[in-house]
Amino acid sequence: MTFAYLLHLATMLGINMILALSLQLTMGITGLVNLGHIAFFAIGSYTSALLTLHGMPFTGAMFVSALLAGLAGLLLGVFTQRIKADYLALATLAFSYLVHALLLNTHSFTNGPLGLANITKPIIFGFQVGANWAFLIFTTVIAVSVYLILMRLIDSPLGMALQATRDNELALRVLGKSTLKLKILAFVCSGCLAGVAGSLYAHFVTFIDPASFTIMQLIPIVCLVVLGGLGSLNGTIVATFVLILISESLRFLSLPSSLTGPLTQMIYASLLFLVLIKKPQGFFGKVSLK
Amino acid sequence: MVAGAIYALVAASFSIIYATNKFLHVAHGAVLALNTYFLYFFFTVLGLNFVLSVLLTMLAAALVGFTISKFYKQLRDKQASSATLLLGSIALMIFIDSLILLLFEGNTKTIGLLKVAQGIELFQAIITPLQISIIVLSLFVLLVLSLFIKKSRLGTTLRAVADTPEQAEILGISANQVYTASFIIGSIVATLAGILYGLEHNLAPTMGIKLVFTGFAAAVVGGIGSIQGAVLGASLFSLVENFGIWYIPSGYKDALVFIVLFLFLTLRPHGIFGFKNKIPL
Repeated sequence: MTFAYLLHLATMLGINMILALSLQLTMGITGLVNLGHIAFFAIGSYTSALLTLHGMPFTGAMFVSALLAGLAGLLLGVFTQRIKADYLALATLAFSYLVHALLLNTHSFTNGPLGLANITKPIIFGFQVGANWAFLIFTTVIAVSVYLILMRLIDSPLGMALQATRDNELALRVLGKSTLKLKILAFVCSGCLAGVAGSLYAHFVTFIDPASFTIMQLIPIVCLVVLGGLGSLNGTIVATFVLILISESLRFLSLPSSLTGPLTQMIYASLLFLVLIKKPQGFFGKVSLK
Repeated sequence: MVAGAIYALVAASFSIIYATNKFLHVAHGAVLALNTYFLYFFFTVLGLNFVLSVLLTMLAAALVGFTISKFYKQLRDKQASSATLLLGSIALMIFIDSLILLLFEGNTKTIGLLKVAQGIELFQAIITPLQISIIVLSLFVLLVLSLFIKKSRLGTTLRAVADTPEQAEILGISANQVYTASFIIGSIVATLAGILYGLEHNLAPTMGIKLVFTGFAAAVVGGIGSIQGAVLGASLFSLVENFGIWYIPSGYKDALVFIVLFLFLTLRPHGIFGFKNKIPL
């Protein structure tokens, strides 16, 4: 029982970590206040779930869901290319709501508010990843690869250009780089990775509905990115562990469930606020948001 | 029309805060909800007289506005950027929302002041006396607010800080006091909107979010900092919402607001009445 719970917790932690790392790419590294991230996650989840429900193998479905989420990133990036700071936050937020409304209302396709049930556990190259431990290994492999890819990216010339977009856009444009292209690229890659996380989520919990993809679900992820430090991948990982431990340990205080939910949220909020006051760049970050 | 009047109030209250403080105060919706719950507490739980309850709620609203501005001052003292303030605001929003859940629990509440009245027919539309009074009251508040901003001393300083905080400071206006004032006024006006909304609808902790995002959107579409713009934007939204559902499924009603907002942000970010150079683009 305890073991199963721990496995579940670790897998959810892995999925959240992938999502937070992919948000790090737009928000931390490129400095775009992206509140539309949950939409990419949702698109990934639904695509993967629908495709496998219609008989497509998991590996293909996951690939397509990353592709579609990346496409959504392209769309969002192109539409918001000239919008900055506050207005970008508002526009990306609008995008989140838009996708949520689409999921809620295309009944024939997404089954509306009832959601999709009986999503199959994945089969990868003929190997059934049904057991929770197998799923955990699979998630960990993906999380580690995402981490390594992003780590490489940060040090690559492209990563440098992305960070320069955040730090001094004008200077970069003077040097003849197209910051618009860089921003769109960040949105696309970030979308792809979030799509992968979404696909994992759908096949892990085997039931998804639009309520799992609202802005309220994005806020903890934003907390992770800010607490850990913008642009710091290690920070995000530490923050994920710390926050999950805090929120899960509250479960053992044997409080009524109507209290724990709001209390956890309040702790998140207070932590976020404290960090913003005391150390706006987060635990490990070097930059604060402009 | 009724929804439009309430949106206009929210838009105006948001606009006052945004124009002076220059960051998105997302927690505004939570503040609105919290204050409306205060009315529920005074009127329905304690059973006080309605007018007294409204006055007490206004007092509470002012207090909440004051506290919030102190909260933001902490961040501002650290030279926080508008994006950091936005994140702080998100934290505040979660905090207040959870506070409401803790204090009043999640189930919906009704204020239940008036019995549902028989509607009267006006221009081929059914309208209740309550709805008429909501519209009249909102317009009255908007008028007072607009006069206040244009004519009064505090209104002038508000506009001065909104334009150029540094110059205002040189002339001996304390920007911090003005920020606080804008939060208090914003909180009170939003609460009025919340009360009017609460008279017709049930209260839920999340009620503020929908109202405020529509209000935000209306303020952006109308042009930030302009009350006429807020009214125009809000009327546009109530029209879009209500006529839009003739053509598309009603489930998309909420999404429609965001589509319009999205289009405006990408095509005309300074709004209908706003000035191009005022927007930090």
